[in-house]
Amino acid sequence: MDLFLPYIACVTLALTVYAALRPSPPTLQVAMVAIGATAGGWLIGIVTGSLSSFGEVSHGIFFVIFSLCAIAAAIRMITHSRPIYCALHFVLVVIASAGLLLMLEAEFMAFALIIVYAGAILITYMFVLMLANQAENPEEPYTQATYDRVPREPAASVAVGFLLLCLITGTVTGGTSSLPPQGDANSQWFVLEKLSTQFEHTVLDVSPEFAWPPITENGHIIQFGTDGVFIVSQNGELLQLDETMLPTNTQMVGWSLVNDFPVTIELAGVILLMAMFGAAVLARRAIELSDREKRIAILGQDTEEGGDA
Amino acid sequence: MMTSMAPSALAGYLIVSGILLTIGVIGFLVRRNLIVMFLCTELMFQGAAIAFVAVGRYLFDYSGQVMVIFILTVAAAEAALALALVVLLHRQKNTLDADAYVELHE
Repeated sequence: MDLFLPYIACVTLALTVYAALRPSPPTLQVAMVAIGATAGGWLIGIVTGSLSSFGEVSHGIFFVIFSLCAIAAAIRMITHSRPIYCALHFVLVVIASAGLLLMLEAEFMAFALIIVYAGAILITYMFVLMLANQAENPEEPYTQATYDRVPREPAASVAVGFLLLCLITGTVTGGTSSLPPQGDANSQWFVLEKLSTQFEHTVLDVSPEFAWPPITENGHIIQFGTDGVFIVSQNGELLQLDETMLPTNTQMVGWSLVNDFPVTIELAGVILLMAMFGAAVLARRAIELSDREKRIAILGQDTEEGGDA
Repeated sequence: MMTSMAPSALAGYLIVSGILLTIGVIGFLVRRNLIVMFLCTELMFQGAAIAFVAVGRYLFDYSGQVMVIFILTVAAAEAALALALVVLLHRQKNTLDADAYVELHE
């Protein structure tokens, strides 16, 4: 596998990111971002094209659009000098990657990503930005702070970052022969087998006379024949299953979540609770009360309790 | 029913996620605004999420999408704590410049 062209594309991307990081007029910056996205697209094209014979690459135009949008918005995000616009470009990255997830048939994760990232986390960032991002000089409210305009060590950072990208590219292109074999599409049926109540309802909806439960063979009630997937009832009746009976993607994810990771989901809850406590404790501002104010507060509570009794 | 996915398609998704991760790393190193630095870590999370879902789709293994749920959890927890710290630091020095806090390591 010839890695020369992918590395050339990586270096082109690195150079455009470096050029976009230099302070320059906005039109030049947009041009740099466009060149960077093109270089990224070229890299994707080389890598995917080299791994398959011509014509086998059929991700559709949407993969190209979404990935170019994500790369361009990401470059613009790290080069823009106004933090609010950085956050808005990150929203664009989130929406583009949600599009990529939709193409991977992960509908639930795509919309959860938009709701949680673009809807919740980014709003928190926006609040803090508006709270903290005041102009250095009150007389010129529209000038940006120096620390937003001047990057720190751009050359070294870009070199380090794109060494990482070259490594990833080399691994992906060189290591595809050692990638695990493709998964078995039939494994989806075994999830339906475990969701027994839903399976029974689905089967009885299609054929109400079917004698549930079906017979088990080789540990599975679902049998794979040459002409499709079927189940056999106790009195020998044969029922062909079709793809519409499969659980949806969201059901599959939910099943995997509670079946394979029951402890991890509990731990995730604990992490969120701890983060909430931590944030409240950190950001809390202690209020100094004088003795008189404390007395008023306590006595006021006392009189209320006395009134109730 | 999902059809199987070509290895070249998987490589495409992995390269996109690698590029997003790299740009996140560069942004974290280059930017001096504390809030934008934390935004860049979220960009790295995005790259990781795409890689997880793509590999999960390739293997017909739904654990990939479950991992994205945990990534979302960690990202939310990180955002809450990091922003609380940023608010605290901003109250002391009235600036978001990361270089203004170099004396913290002493």
